[in-house]
Amino acid sequence: MEQIALAAPGSELSIWALFWQAGWIVKSVMIGLLLASVWTWAIVVDKMVAYARMRRTLNKFEQVFWSGQSLEELYRSLSERKTSGMGTIFVAAMREWKKSFEKGANSQLALQTRIDKAMDLALGREMERLEGRLGFLATIGSAAPFIGLFGTVIGIMTSFQAIAGSKSTNLAVVAPGIAEALLATAIGLLAAIPAVVAYNKLSSDAGKLSARMEGFADEFSAILSRQIDEKLGSRA
Amino acid sequence: MKAGLTTSLLAHAAFLGIGLFTVAPPRAFDVDDVESFPVDIIPIESITQVQEGDREAPEVETPSPKPTRRVQPVENALKTGDNDQDLENPPTPELQPKPVETAVAPKAIEEPAPEPDVKPEPQPEPEKTPDPVADTIAEQEPDPESAELPEDVPVPTPRPKTPPPQTAKTPKTEQADQKTDQVAALLNKEKAAGGGAKRATKQASLGGERTTKGSKLTQSEMDALRGQIQRCWNVPAGVSNAEDLKISIKMRLDKSGAIEGRPEVVSGGGGTGISRIAAESARRAVLRCAPFNLPAAKYDAWADVIVHFDPSDMF
Repeated sequence: MEQIALAAPGSELSIWALFWQAGWIVKSVMIGLLLASVWTWAIVVDKMVAYARMRRTLNKFEQVFWSGQSLEELYRSLSERKTSGMGTIFVAAMREWKKSFEKGANSQLALQTRIDKAMDLALGREMERLEGRLGFLATIGSAAPFIGLFGTVIGIMTSFQAIAGSKSTNLAVVAPGIAEALLATAIGLLAAIPAVVAYNKLSSDAGKLSARMEGFADEFSAILSRQIDEKLGSRA
Repeated sequence: MKAGLTTSLLAHAAFLGIGLFTVAPPRAFDVDDVESFPVDIIPIESITQVQEGDREAPEVETPSPKPTRRVQPVENALKTGDNDQDLENPPTPELQPKPVETAVAPKAIEEPAPEPDVKPEPQPEPEKTPDPVADTIAEQEPDPESAELPEDVPVPTPRPKTPPPQTAKTPKTEQADQKTDQVAALLNKEKAAGGGAKRATKQASLGGERTTKGSKLTQSEMDALRGQIQRCWNVPAGVSNAEDLKISIKMRLDKSGAIEGRPEVVSGGGGTGISRIAAESARRAVLRCAPFNLPAAKYDAWADVIVHFDPSDMF
């Protein structure tokens, strides 16, 4: 049956027809690659939106933070609602600070360490949220061409078997099978190229955001350290 | 995440929709009409498929071998000729009577006839004026007796010609009757009249020495033979310049492709020096390469092969 389809001179060559002519392995490879492409673009859109929102949040928070507002007030206003980015770090540090002072801590060094730890944890959680699913983009970017190539090789193999069966080497007989097989590689590349580009862009964006938050954490740690010194010194 | 997934799905659906249903399959290539080469297939049977006949005769519709004098067709005869039997090799030729060189009788020398005792004439009559010249002529008329042939002149007898040594070539045939034919041929002292007893009364048609039975070597098989010989051919040094040193070697091959007998130089190689060396080198080449690898089914086509060696082709 396949031979006849191959040998048919006026067999349709639209992409849809090529897809339907393919064998089940090639078809499943194509469908898998198509799903991967859908998921890739979903991640890309999601991350783009998330990073833009994060950038906006950071800008707003920095504006508020350096506006001269007292830390206590800021904490009070932030702890009541859901925060993200620097706000989360700030809240985590302030919570630790408050707990320690309410119980009357007396070790300056231990307090400092605890606050830093709390901020690190908050930062880590934020970064995880930012960078999650970027790994999938990397995987698709590197593996999709190979998956497509696999489909192509299988397709060419079966089409050559069919050619051998039809006992004709006319190019009109050979061409449709090969075009159909190459469609798998095309879809693989179609999925892989945006994935690679997006991965590079998004991971560098995530790096920038992460650096900004780390800078804030260090700065805030220094501020808190000064405060601890002052409070303990006045107490002593 | 939901928003991203929805966006992506919608984008893909749109893209595929556009790609699958609006983009037509690529237009087929317009191939310009290629200028065509006229190819004629020329039959070369006139060269490769030769009927037995006469080389000089004009071409006629019905093939016919050389005419014979007596019309006594022998069934299943293989060779053309005037014999009653069909013989592999021609019977012993009759000794050609050589023109006898008989000694020509010596020419009658016109010696002045001896004066037959001319008696002094009596005094001539006074009235008859003696004409001495006329008298002398009259008297000098040759005597017919004097020019008679000598009887005992030795006549050289013709030397008996030794018959040429006959080499009985024995073709490898298993059939006994053929052998008896050969024996008969050897013993046959009949008059020479060609080979066999295949008869025809018509005018001989254009043809070769033997019928090639329609099998012919293809060009590639000829090339293969040429290649086999060329490999073995050491062109003697200095020959390459001599453009006209063309040697033709005729050889007989048996069915295994081995050379039967001695390859014979048909043309070229005459004289001395370099052309003889060239002829010898050509012969050596043929001998060294044997047996040749040729299609056994076409044995008729290559039983007799003439190979042309042209040193100028080698360089």
